[in-house]
Amino acid sequence: MKTILLVEDDVANAMLVERILTRHDYRLIQAADGEAAIALAAESTPDLILIDLGLPDIDGQTLIVLMREMDHLAGVPMVALTAWPPEVARTMAEAYGFDGYLSKPIDVRAFPGQIAAFLPG
Amino acid sequence: MIPPRQPARPGPGERMVHDPPSPPPRADNALDLVAADRFSLDELASIYNATRIDYLVPMPMGPARLAEYMRVYDVDLAASVIVIGPDGPVGLGMLGLRPERAWITRLGVVPAARRGGAGRALMDGLLHTAAERERPVVWLEVIKGNEPAKRLFLRSGFTKTRELLVVRRSPLAQQRPPSLPANFVTAVEALDREQALDLLAARQVRPNWLNETASMHNVRRLEALRVTCSDGGLGWASFDVGRFQLTRIVVQVLAGDPVAVSAATLGAVHQRYPRHDTNIENLAADDPMWPGFQQLGYFDAFRRLEMVRGSEAARLEA
Repeated sequence: MKTILLVEDDVANAMLVERILTRHDYRLIQAADGEAAIALAAESTPDLILIDLGLPDIDGQTLIVLMREMDHLAGVPMVALTAWPPEVARTMAEAYGFDGYLSKPIDVRAFPGQIAAFLPG
Repeated sequence: MIPPRQPARPGPGERMVHDPPSPPPRADNALDLVAADRFSLDELASIYNATRIDYLVPMPMGPARLAEYMRVYDVDLAASVIVIGPDGPVGLGMLGLRPERAWITRLGVVPAARRGGAGRALMDGLLHTAAERERPVVWLEVIKGNEPAKRLFLRSGFTKTRELLVVRRSPLAQQRPPSLPANFVTAVEALDREQALDLLAARQVRPNWLNETASMHNVRRLEALRVTCSDGGLGWASFDVGRFQLTRIVVQVLAGDPVAVSAATLGAVHQRYPRHDTNIENLAADDPMWPGFQQLGYFDAFRRLEMVRGSEAARLEA
């Protein structure tokens, strides 16, 4: 079972993502802000990290830079979750070294396939 | 509860206004206005985030971030307002106060309560307080594309002054401007806080509220660099050094080509802090230095429109 670290401060969005992904046999670990995400990331090696760009303490853009410095997370795909317009989201994702981005509000039907596309095998 | 803050210290000839504010005007449609200082920081952050839940530009704030924002930008919670609907708070608006001027910020209404007069009530309350506090000029910014908010501000008597950029730069971006020779910078001098504040105070171009010298006085870790270039160019930059992020960067070119010298100056900043992310708010969109920023990997995240109401509007139109 693959593990996904979800960093999302909006409770409703987090619950929706959890509901969708657990139905597709993913295990979710969650952080509601950047500081909690750093702590969780330091002590776990998820298969994928989903980062909401709009966090209340540390920006998601800053967070991925910090996570990329953690040796044990080398090779873990990190994907931005964002409501930014596509052209800005693309620029943000490329500039900060994300492996890609997914737009919010999420497409409930497409979301599991979008997630699977980031996971090897 | 956060105690009401004092506005920035008055300059020569200015006086502090300490008269207790009268209650803001009562809103219509079962809405009521209360002063924001009746709420805790956690409550204020929660209300603020609820009003922005559907914004295209996500900018949530936790209590610590909100407290820092209010401290640096001289937001007075006693002068700021919360609008209460039948089921509780549905909106807020904050008021920054400095000598002779005020600033409306963080204004928002939860999605379910929009188009019901809450925004108008907030504006009326804030403008009422600004007038009571003898601030004849009121500033604000609105995200470009937020047409309902812009219409509200226009109806409230505001006029547009300029377009502003909010820009980001990743620490993965290039640290040296690619268009400049390696030996273009001949000297980099670190300046102390007082030197930085003196340079900021001597600026000729009117800064936006966020970047005013009064804001920089409130910055805890303000640093600055002065850069000398091989062609005689001279520039300086001041900036706020956070744990992970550089913010509130101000760049000035004192001599030489604005693009080359600004790029060289920013290059010096980012070589000094190579691992820091960067976020700069409210750079003028027509700033001739902007291409210099772009050479260091800065990009345009979104834009705001700055607006003003009061005697300043008339002065700027003259």
